[in-house]
Amino acid sequence: MAHIASLLRELKRGSTEVLILSLLEERPRHGYEIGRLIDERSGGEINFHIASLYPTLYRLEENGFIEGRWVEKAGQRRKRYYRLTSAGKKTLAQQRTAWDTFFVALNRIAHIKHA
Amino acid sequence: MHEARMDWKSRIRELFTASAADVDEDVMEELSEHAAAAYERMLSDGSEATEAARHVAELVRSWAREAPNLRRRSNRPPAVEAPPVVPRRFAGFLNDVRYALRMLNRQRAFAVLSISTMSIGIGICTSLFSVVYGVFWKPLPWPEPDRIIRLTEIRQGATRPHPLQIDNAAYLAWQDDPTTIEKIGGFWTNTATVSGVGDASRIGIGHVTSSIFSIVRAKPLMGSLFTADEEDASGKVLLSYGFWHERFGGRSDALGRSIQIDGNAFTVIGVMPREFVFPDTSVRVWIPYHIRPVIAPDGRGTNSQIFNAIARLRPGVTPEQAASEATVRARSAPDGGLATLAFWGAEPKARIDISAAPALDALTSDLRPALIAVTAAVILLFLAVVGNVANLQLAHTVSRQREIAIRSSIGAGVQRIAQQLLIESVVLGLAGGVTGLFIAVGLHRALPSSLPSDFPRIDDVAFNLRVAVFCGVLTLVTGLLLGTLPALQVRRLNLVESLTEDQNGSIGGRKDGLPRARFAIMIGQIAIACILLVGALLLSRSLLVLMHADRGYDPANLATAIVSMPVASFSAQREIDILNRIVERVGAIPSVTHVAYTDGLPLSSNETLSAFKMPSNRPPVGAPMQVHSVRHVVSEDYFQTFGMRVLKGRAFSSADTASSQHVVVVNRAFATQYLSDSVIGDRIINFAGDFAQGEFQVVGVIDDVVEHQISEGIQPEIYSLQTQSIFRSQNPGIVIRTNGDSRAIVDSLRSIVKEQDPSLALYSVMTMEERLSSSLSKPRFYAVLLSTFAFSALLITGVGLFGVLSYTVSQRKREFALRSALGATPAELVRLVLTNALTIALCGLAAGTFVSFVLVKYLDTLLYGIKAHDWVSFAAVDIIIIIMSVLSCMGPAIRTLRIDPIRSLGGH
Repeated sequence: MAHIASLLRELKRGSTEVLILSLLEERPRHGYEIGRLIDERSGGEINFHIASLYPTLYRLEENGFIEGRWVEKAGQRRKRYYRLTSAGKKTLAQQRTAWDTFFVALNRIAHIKHA
Repeated sequence: MHEARMDWKSRIRELFTASAADVDEDVMEELSEHAAAAYERMLSDGSEATEAARHVAELVRSWAREAPNLRRRSNRPPAVEAPPVVPRRFAGFLNDVRYALRMLNRQRAFAVLSISTMSIGIGICTSLFSVVYGVFWKPLPWPEPDRIIRLTEIRQGATRPHPLQIDNAAYLAWQDDPTTIEKIGGFWTNTATVSGVGDASRIGIGHVTSSIFSIVRAKPLMGSLFTADEEDASGKVLLSYGFWHERFGGRSDALGRSIQIDGNAFTVIGVMPREFVFPDTSVRVWIPYHIRPVIAPDGRGTNSQIFNAIARLRPGVTPEQAASEATVRARSAPDGGLATLAFWGAEPKARIDISAAPALDALTSDLRPALIAVTAAVILLFLAVVGNVANLQLAHTVSRQREIAIRSSIGAGVQRIAQQLLIESVVLGLAGGVTGLFIAVGLHRALPSSLPSDFPRIDDVAFNLRVAVFCGVLTLVTGLLLGTLPALQVRRLNLVESLTEDQNGSIGGRKDGLPRARFAIMIGQIAIACILLVGALLLSRSLLVLMHADRGYDPANLATAIVSMPVASFSAQREIDILNRIVERVGAIPSVTHVAYTDGLPLSSNETLSAFKMPSNRPPVGAPMQVHSVRHVVSEDYFQTFGMRVLKGRAFSSADTASSQHVVVVNRAFATQYLSDSVIGDRIINFAGDFAQGEFQVVGVIDDVVEHQISEGIQPEIYSLQTQSIFRSQNPGIVIRTNGDSRAIVDSLRSIVKEQDPSLALYSVMTMEERLSSSLSKPRFYAVLLSTFAFSALLITGVGLFGVLSYTVSQRKREFALRSALGATPAELVRLVLTNALTIALCGLAAGTFVSFVLVKYLDTLLYGIKAHDWVSFAAVDIIIIIMSVLSCMGPAIRTLRIDPIRSLGGH
């Protein structure tokens, strides 16, 4: 099973960006919410190490795909929210296409179905 | 909740510090928020506090292990940039420039205001430089032009000076074997109709002696020049390069071709090079000019000519030495007799002096007073602009005190910061300079239509590399100058005060919160506005006086035109017949009330000077007296058409025919100077040689008419009727009075003239009011120019005062709040602001009024009908400045009323 775990690690690493971008496509979110949603919506299957979440967020921000800003609401802690930029939307679309193409090709060869 | 966040942040900071990780405060805050959220989530999921804390602590430790990856690069530049680690000179300079550009991009309002204000000042200065250089400094287009002098003959007691002209007696006396000059040459210019090649048109003609070309060292491009022997024989012409290209297509077969000038045939003998200009660019062809000897070859009669003259100095000779020789020779020349009286209004034996001045100085001498005034005005406006930007700079520096203090506290030296501010100022200046250059280019394009038409050397006013370099140097100097003040301010910065001061200012600090430098600058700006306004008001009032001055006739609803009737094409009789038919046809137009013609319209260059001897009409009656006057030959309705006032007797009438008693009308000056007390019935004999022989009786006296500029004074004038004297003019004038807009009959006039003879050409077609307005182009130009400067200075000063007062109010906010809390009424608060404004205004007014009082005497030569020290103008300026000051302080005064004492005093 060790090699499966290693395979899963590799898969998670490759999918980090598309997961984050697609969550931000819905609405702006802060880092903790992004991590939690990935965990909840994946049914616990994808569980990021927080150490990889924030570097990925920062890398996406540096590349201009997302934009972060501090938001302070009355009675709440100050939180840093991230939103998708127009460049990020384009990248998300490209990554979705790439993943879709990948899965189609994967299915042709290895008969792996996806929704 | 708050305790958990603070606790996690401390824990995270400890762990990162322990692992020597360098993580931004921003990232730490984000991670601590995540940790707190995770902790709370676990608690809400039912976990024990210790379990949740242990889990989050493990999470935090994993972050510390990944610290190198927890870096976020901000897109925004840091508020305070660290000084360069390795202070390489050029790299530091480039950094400073980049930083300056970023700072200006952030403070756009300040940058736009500063750049636009500076660009106006730099643009106007650059434009003025192009005029000053082109008119006054650019050498004349001849080899060694500083060795060429212009000559002026001065007759003692002359009532009619002729600047830059001498007569043939003085010229010929100096022509042979001069010791101080190489050669002397004579010339004059006029416009004439050129035909025979292309469409007939009027162009500038130069009448020149052959020696002119050797004086200016000119050689023809092709063909040959006139020789001295050819001066007396007419029929040869030299073409300018432009005319040759335009009319002959630049072909070599132009030589030997014939052209018509005012109906006379001329053969082309040469073409001048492209760069040849004499005396100015308006002259397009040159024909020989013969200087006749004073005593006619047959010994009977004298010849007198007046013309322009130049000479080339011998090496080592000064103009004064040449003038001395010319004077000695002129005094020994033959006497011109009555012609001298006619030309100069001086006795024939009057003492002669010849003055000589370098050609460029002579050409521009009458412009110098005006140009000095305009230059002073531009400099003052520029200083006002610089003052405004300096004030903006100082305020901007004050607003950056905290930033500068922080930079200073983290290691930037004062010199380093001052250098940065200086570079910012230079960058600002450069931006203003580039924009100013565009403004200067735009102003340059507008110059030809704005400058008076007789402005000398207009074509030499060019926008070239020299002007651009001037703009660059001015920009750099301005930028450095403006950067000096903030740089000096930095040296006096108090770090502690700057870091602890808030926005509300202090209570009981500086008396009015306004730095002395800004106070002084504001006073200077108001003084400058005052000086410019005084000058503008004086010139404008002088212009109004000139415009409404009584010229002896009514210029309203008066159309005028000049008909070109060259002697070669029109005999005297044909000329009269045509003019009479024109008068008859025009008189039939319903809107025309009167129409007449004359041998020379007022404000045209056509006039006939006359000098004669006649028996005196005053005691001792019959004694011979010498008379000089201006002579006019006019048609019957001339005085009625012009609306000239008949003071005594009558005007001409239909009863005055060729066979009736020959009559004349004189002006008041003539009557006062030469006639008896009764005037009417006095006799004038042979006043125009062959043109008006015999005895003429004076039947009327008209009020003096201003024939030229008002400043030139009134000459004695005689009017005779065309039926009783010979009418001979190559350029007679037609004048038409209508009962409505006189421009409406111009088309009818043109077709009536053409019907008489298709070759007839009308020119200078304009209303008398337009003619008058054109004659006032110079005073109007100076008045408009100075008014524009004054208005600009007033606007800049008003905006500057508004800014300074707003700053004062913001600095004294706490003081105003305290006063309000202690019971001060709104009126009292407003009075504080108003007092501030009026103090500045009055100080500026005092300084400006004093300086104006001293400087206005230099405007004396430009004023008419008004004294330089005119108290009405000074008082009006004081009122304008006070009103401007009150308006400027209204905004800041209203702000004081909106100060909330509680908010402003909060925390104290």
